[in-house]
Amino acid sequence: MFTALVAQLDKGFRFFLASLIALMVLCVTWQIVSRYVLGDPSQWTEELARFLLIWIGLLGGAYAYHVKMHLGLDILSNKLTGSKKVLHALFVHVLVILFSAAVLIVGGLRIVQMTTELKQYSAALEVPMAFIYSALPISGVMLILYAAIAIIETLAPQAMED
Amino acid sequence: MSIAILLIVFVVLLGIGVPVAFCIGVATLGALLASLDAGPALATMAQRMVSGLNSFALLAIPLFILSGVIMGQGGIAARLIHFAKCLIGMVPGGLAFVNIISCTLFGAISGSAVAASSAVGGFMIPEMEKDGYQRNFSAAVTATSATTGLLIPPSNILIVYAIASGGVSIAALFIAGYLPGLLVALSLMVVCGIYAKRNNFPSSARVSLREAATAGLAALPSLFLIVLVIGGIIGGVFTATEAGAIAVLYALALAWGFYGEITRRDIYPILLKAAETTAIVMLLVATSVAMSWLLAYHNVPTQVAEFLLQFSDNPLVILLIINLVLLIVGSFMDMTPAVLIFTPIFLPVAVQLGMSPLHFGIMIVLNLSIGLCTPPVGSVLFVSCAIAKTTIENIIRPLLPMYAAMIVALLLVTYVPAISEALPRYFGLM
Amino acid sequence: NEDEGVTRLKIGHTLDPTHTVHKAMLVMDKELQSLSGGTMAIDLYPSGQLGSERELIELLQIGSLAMTKVSASPLESFVPEMKIFNIPYLFRDKQHYLNVLDSEVGQALLDAPTAVRLRGLGYFDAGSRSFYSTKKPINTPDDLTGLKIRVQESQTAMRMVSSLGGSPTPVSWGELYTALQQGVVDGAENNPPSFYLSHHYEVAPYFTLDEHSAVPDVLLMSDYVWQHLTAQQRQWVQQAVAVAVQYQRKQWQIDTEHALQQVAADGVTIIRPDKSLFRAKVEIMLADYEASPLGDTIRAIQEVR
Ligand code: NA
Ligand code: NA
Repeated sequence: MFTALVAQLDKGFRFFLASLIALMVLCVTWQIVSRYVLGDPSQWTEELARFLLIWIGLLGGAYAYHVKMHLGLDILSNKLTGSKKVLHALFVHVLVILFSAAVLIVGGLRIVQMTTELKQYSAALEVPMAFIYSALPISGVMLILYAAIAIIETLAPQAMED
Repeated sequence: MSIAILLIVFVVLLGIGVPVAFCIGVATLGALLASLDAGPALATMAQRMVSGLNSFALLAIPLFILSGVIMGQGGIAARLIHFAKCLIGMVPGGLAFVNIISCTLFGAISGSAVAASSAVGGFMIPEMEKDGYQRNFSAAVTATSATTGLLIPPSNILIVYAIASGGVSIAALFIAGYLPGLLVALSLMVVCGIYAKRNNFPSSARVSLREAATAGLAALPSLFLIVLVIGGIIGGVFTATEAGAIAVLYALALAWGFYGEITRRDIYPILLKAAETTAIVMLLVATSVAMSWLLAYHNVPTQVAEFLLQFSDNPLVILLIINLVLLIVGSFMDMTPAVLIFTPIFLPVAVQLGMSPLHFGIMIVLNLSIGLCTPPVGSVLFVSCAIAKTTIENIIRPLLPMYAAMIVALLLVTYVPAISEALPRYFGLM
Repeated sequence: NEDEGVTRLKIGHTLDPTHTVHKAMLVMDKELQSLSGGTMAIDLYPSGQLGSERELIELLQIGSLAMTKVSASPLESFVPEMKIFNIPYLFRDKQHYLNVLDSEVGQALLDAPTAVRLRGLGYFDAGSRSFYSTKKPINTPDDLTGLKIRVQESQTAMRMVSSLGGSPTPVSWGELYTALQQGVVDGAENNPPSFYLSHHYEVAPYFTLDEHSAVPDVLLMSDYVWQHLTAQQRQWVQQAVAVAVQYQRKQWQIDTEHALQQVAADGVTIIRPDKSLFRAKVEIMLADYEASPLGDTIRAIQEVR
């Protein structure tokens, strides 16, 4: 049940990420086409592409954590065995949870709230800046979720089976 | 105080094996909390992370990563490499030379070292592995040679320097960058040559002219990709970042429509792979931009410089110290803020010693481009590791001789002004 | 930020240290130190070291930065009233423009940002903005037809270029040199010192002094930091700002003339066109804004002598 839910979430998240990249290619292409073929340079493509990159970077960062792709020195963790290895893994995951909660969720929501209340809009697309910054708390929630999954996998591997 | 926190937390977490992006993030957060109220500290950190990603120039990374993946899976890279091997493969270590030349060419036209390492590394590293090269070695070659494009025009970082220096002509800087850029590429080739001899690196059998011609013909549509990208940028049809999208579309059309080596079903995994690789780099960029901000906020660069410059009044020694400081700074800091912060500090000193601002600009950019491929913070290093699916500690050993070669090039550029100044003088630009 | 009993105000901006605004901030630091008997000082972060204009404004709102200088244009999304500065030919002449800044209307516009956790402290002169082009000179508005012109991130500025017949093209300031050189855009617009300091004159040899708009720079302060100051400290800050503003306005004139001489010496053709031709093409914009909620402000400006 739990595994199925995680798999479903994963699938949706991956699809979303892939779509963002595809959209980014189309957006930059449209920028060139609008300038040369239509002779009417698009006003919003540059900004949209930058905003897509923010979303891909932050949400993709959570996904990359899930698939254990982030770069780090693993000299120590390779040497540890047994309960020490488990403790080490727990430390890393808890640290990631704390960072995500503090910076991405609390700090991120603070900016989201501030920009909403101050009615800040982006220059070209005129979308609320709060919308752009909401990538922070969403990424924070996903990171905490993925770290929690990793903790469950470490402590009770059997829970992830069946 | 906050800088001590930054350093200690960072080193401890890195040693424990926390992913580097989070080492930087947590250490920066700790230092921010030591200098600001909690609310502003958390919000500032979050804002810096987003603003680090909010850059059109950075878009070159995902776009060229994506085009690299398509070139790799779609048979474009294979045809290019096959042709290059026919030309230079019988030289021992020939593929390593091909890698350097490709990175230099690509870095030159795209003006982005990260774009060059992702585009070239994406297809060269797997191809080199097929031929028996170690992944770590190939990743090291890609990382270092990708930085040469920052000196060879067009180059955004030289423009940043021109503005920071408040008086150097961008046109002159562009011309000045050619020789030093090629010098770095050459010095890396020397390292590869020595390595190839020592380790009996593979060399393929000599091929017939007919075979080479066939390979060239087969590679022609793939070669046109390079022509399209270079021509488009030089002709002002699109910017270097936009060229990334053109590269993606052309590579896709070629691999899917013409070669038929990828199908509709391959598109989704290709997009996902590019998203994943992009995200690894982007989270690092986000947290290291926050750290650079913190360092600037506490005037760390200025204090470090003032501290070191009190040691000597010998020009040769001072230039050496400046280079040392920049090498250390480059290890931790992103290039653009480093140029912006250190130009006003070191340029007046260098001018006093008789160095021209043009010469100093080439020196600082070459120096900081070494930092792009040194740990702990180096975007090009990160991209190359991510693409080669290797780790930072594994890539360090093959990188060492290449750092040495780049430092030799740096010393030559530092102490022989003609390398930077001869061409601008010839063209009457200084 | 207090260490050793000294309150240090951190100012970030995006100009380089040779710019008059930076020099004025140094004057401000000196003035503040002497007024406060050394208990207050300013730390300066030029060249966008701490972020872009919009980001610096956000840092003021967050409370981690004390002050910044921004052009009124990017303030438009925070303070809609600032749109009026981008309306072409709003001011009769230079003196009218400076008088407006120092008038009640000018003060009201400075006070407007308080609603968004920012305080306007004063205006720096940023001169008049004019067109420059790479391939052909712009003598009349007709010469702008079909030209891709880089504009600031401002709806009003984009509309102005469209009304004159050009294609407004947003390019970031940092990428503009290459964009001009490679022909991604055919021209841009700015004041003479920026045209000179950015080196754009190297690739854009025609400078048309049509002086279509005068967008001042605004010195902003974080309300969060302001609330942490004592009444006495606030008074010192305001006095120091007043001294810096006077210094900057004088220095700006000198630097503008110097910039025009320098670019002319470097071979730039400086064109002094018939401004009424440009004014005629964009008069409709002023009329539109007069009918908008900003109409009252515009009428108040027109009444300033
Ligand atoms: Na380049
Ligand atoms: Na580095």
